[in-house]
Amino acid sequence: MLKRRNLKFLFNIWSISSLIIIMFVLIPNANILLNIFKPANQNWNHIKEYLLKDYIINSAVLVLFTGFFSILIGLIPAWLITQYQFPFRNFFKWSLILPLAIPPYIGAYTYNGLLNYTGVIQTSLRNYFGISVNPIYFDIMNIKGAIFIYTIFLFPYIYIITRSFLAKQSASLVEAARTLGRSSFEIFWYIILPITRTAIVAGGSLVVLEVLNDYGVVKYFGITTFSTAIFKTWFGMGDLISAVRLSALLMIFVFGVLLIEKFSRGGKRFSYSTTKVRPLSRTKLSGIKAFLVSALCSLIFVIGFLIPTLQLLYWSWLSYAKILDVDFFIFSFNSIFVALLASILIIIISIIVANTVRISDNILAKVYSKVAILGYSIPGAVIAVGILLFFIGLDKFIGSGKLILTSTILMLIFAYIIRFLAIGYNSIESGFDKVGKSFFEASRTLGLGITKTFFKVDLPMIKPAVISGFLLVLIEILKELPLTLILRPFNFDTLASKAFEYASDEMIHEAAISSIIIIFICCLAIYGIHKLGAGKGSTDVN
Amino acid sequence: MKKSLFILALVVLVGTVSSAPASAGFFDFLFGKDNGEVNLYTNRHYDTDEELLKQFEEETGIKVNVLKGGSDELIERIAREGKNTNADLLITADAGRLHRAKAAGLLQAIDSETVLNNIPANLRDEDNQWVALTVRGRVVVYAKDRVNPLEISTYEDLTADKWRGKILVRSSANIYNQSLLASLYALNGEKYARAWAEGVLNNMARAPRGNDRAQATAVAAGIGDLAIMNTYYIGKMLNSSNPEEVKVAKQVGVRFLEPTHINVSGVGLTKHAKNRENAIKLIEFLSSAKAQKFFAEANYEYPANPTVEASALLKSWGDFETQDINLTKLGEFNQQAVEIFNEIGWQ
Repeated sequence: MLKRRNLKFLFNIWSISSLIIIMFVLIPNANILLNIFKPANQNWNHIKEYLLKDYIINSAVLVLFTGFFSILIGLIPAWLITQYQFPFRNFFKWSLILPLAIPPYIGAYTYNGLLNYTGVIQTSLRNYFGISVNPIYFDIMNIKGAIFIYTIFLFPYIYIITRSFLAKQSASLVEAARTLGRSSFEIFWYIILPITRTAIVAGGSLVVLEVLNDYGVVKYFGITTFSTAIFKTWFGMGDLISAVRLSALLMIFVFGVLLIEKFSRGGKRFSYSTTKVRPLSRTKLSGIKAFLVSALCSLIFVIGFLIPTLQLLYWSWLSYAKILDVDFFIFSFNSIFVALLASILIIIISIIVANTVRISDNILAKVYSKVAILGYSIPGAVIAVGILLFFIGLDKFIGSGKLILTSTILMLIFAYIIRFLAIGYNSIESGFDKVGKSFFEASRTLGLGITKTFFKVDLPMIKPAVISGFLLVLIEILKELPLTLILRPFNFDTLASKAFEYASDEMIHEAAISSIIIIFICCLAIYGIHKLGAGKGSTDVN
Repeated sequence: MKKSLFILALVVLVGTVSSAPASAGFFDFLFGKDNGEVNLYTNRHYDTDEELLKQFEEETGIKVNVLKGGSDELIERIAREGKNTNADLLITADAGRLHRAKAAGLLQAIDSETVLNNIPANLRDEDNQWVALTVRGRVVVYAKDRVNPLEISTYEDLTADKWRGKILVRSSANIYNQSLLASLYALNGEKYARAWAEGVLNNMARAPRGNDRAQATAVAAGIGDLAIMNTYYIGKMLNSSNPEEVKVAKQVGVRFLEPTHINVSGVGLTKHAKNRENAIKLIEFLSSAKAQKFFAEANYEYPANPTVEASALLKSWGDFETQDINLTKLGEFNQQAVEIFNEIGWQ
């Protein structure tokens, strides 16, 4: 009897669809990874001798410093906002997520445009005050500048996760400490820091993955890292095998980071059995303290969002007459359309796999959950070619002598799914985690099937996670670059690819309008996530 | 209830898909178009290029589909697509890359009298597997107030001690620098090329960073006195929508070094082109006097077709003598150039 039930678990519609999905995710990646086992060639020796050291040092410096500063400016406002009541608190609560709407490469172009010799700061000094400053002081195109750019546009990952964690988990501890007369600093140091450690590491690993994968900023600033090296070796030297070796090294690095995250989280799971979580009662700040806290939050908001956005708006105003035509609306539509379609598919797939993993406690299910997030730790360019090879293979298999599937929108959407499944999946998984298994088991005991239980019991409970996961994926796809550049079909531009093209042709003004639209849509999505969080009290972006 | 919501969502989804871009039907959109049209892979993404292709479509009724990307990525893609490739034509902004495509066996000869008449032999591949469309010079831009242009007249002059801490140039990852070094290698051998690269590295005002415009800006800002860059960026800066950039461009002068290193944007016909005839018609069109004039003028490049005069701005910079070298060499010596840059530490 028990056996038959187990079998049913293994072979139901959920596990079968999951198996198919996992195979699809695995094949293109395996295609690439197999290249690691091919013997090293001469290029590889050249790379090892002259270049590898720089790649490692630069990547490590970027990751360490960006990680450190992101934690600093992610955690402190998260703590202030959950603990205290101060002017504009409600506004900062969500607006500090907005820097996430600006792709780092656009941020880099914008800040350089602002600070360089022809930018508004230096020209105002020259033209209105007659002051010529040494431009070296305004130079942002170096490794310090890159750390600044990554920090200011990526810290929200840490902010979001630690804030929602603090809002949910800290109430009783903090109140107890307050009752015992501890100062704010002591509470921060002895309670907040230790309990948010896992949340910090979770957010931090997202930041690290983004930094390691980014291509736009480091290319523009002339910093050699693994991601520029992979492009250079593969496409510049035409050497796939060495490029894959570099990717493999990078992946070892990434898995190291993920492993640290795993260990630091220990076996802890944070699920709760009721859907109500008691919020912390906030201390009201007044006078100079209130002012300082508001000022700090404003500063972060201004640097991370307001300044670059205003600069882009000004450039849009200079260039709109040249840019706004029918084509512009077509590729805006393309961009939004593929992003929506891919996001919907990712969420459906995430739900199928996450639900399968949750209800079947076997090794295979554990493997599924690892494979589902694989794509996020592989550089976009590497995934792109894995998928290209896979589709060319499919077309050969169909055997019409033409490329029917390759270079289609299907291929691009497939690539988005593999790359961003991790984001949707993590969201859905944490939604399931919070709900726990008891409602599911109760429903099963009462005789409802898995699928019926899913629609009647589980789905309504994880709905906030579904929507916020969907919006997060949407944001990522709208900003995405390497996959789109390599895999897009004929006559197909997206907002991001168009912005990048203009910017890389050294036409930053013309890039501004596309950038502004990306930022605007992402802002709407972020506001949506925020509203969702506010409405449900307990659910936030994870 | 939930189920019906789900179904409703699916219906909406399918509805959106099928009404997707108004210009194309559902299946065209999802699965791409059937052929009969010219498929162009290009790494030039200027609005002027699109304008030219539109003109071609209007004149001939032949539709052109464009796939844009980095030149190396596109070449890799054509190679991987093999016999089945969709690409009929490949346009890149560097002769070295066209040579790479040829060396990989991806191109075939363009046997059109019209094209061969339009484009002179020195701007074509030896076997006519690619032809140039536009020409640009890699020149030195100098600070008008600090530098007497007569002080510098060859690429070798850039390595002189008096320019220590004065030279601005972008990174070696940039193909224009690679092709410049490859040309010096081809003309004078490895020893010369290495010494030249080391000399320039020693004279740099700062570590390489930014694009060509950034180098001219740094000259105006006084970070250095000389910048190595392509001619057309000065044209673009003079016509920029940012008045400050126009000012910068006016502060610097253009100096052609003798012999000037030139590079081209060019087009190759792919070996497995499915629409060969129409593709050749497009090359004929792009090399014609009319298209050449438009091509070059809108982007401040020199026309490849000698019957077309350069724009007034370009003519104002004066004449120059070009390196006596077949442009194929830029590709043949690319690998060596990249290795020298890496070995001496030119980032």
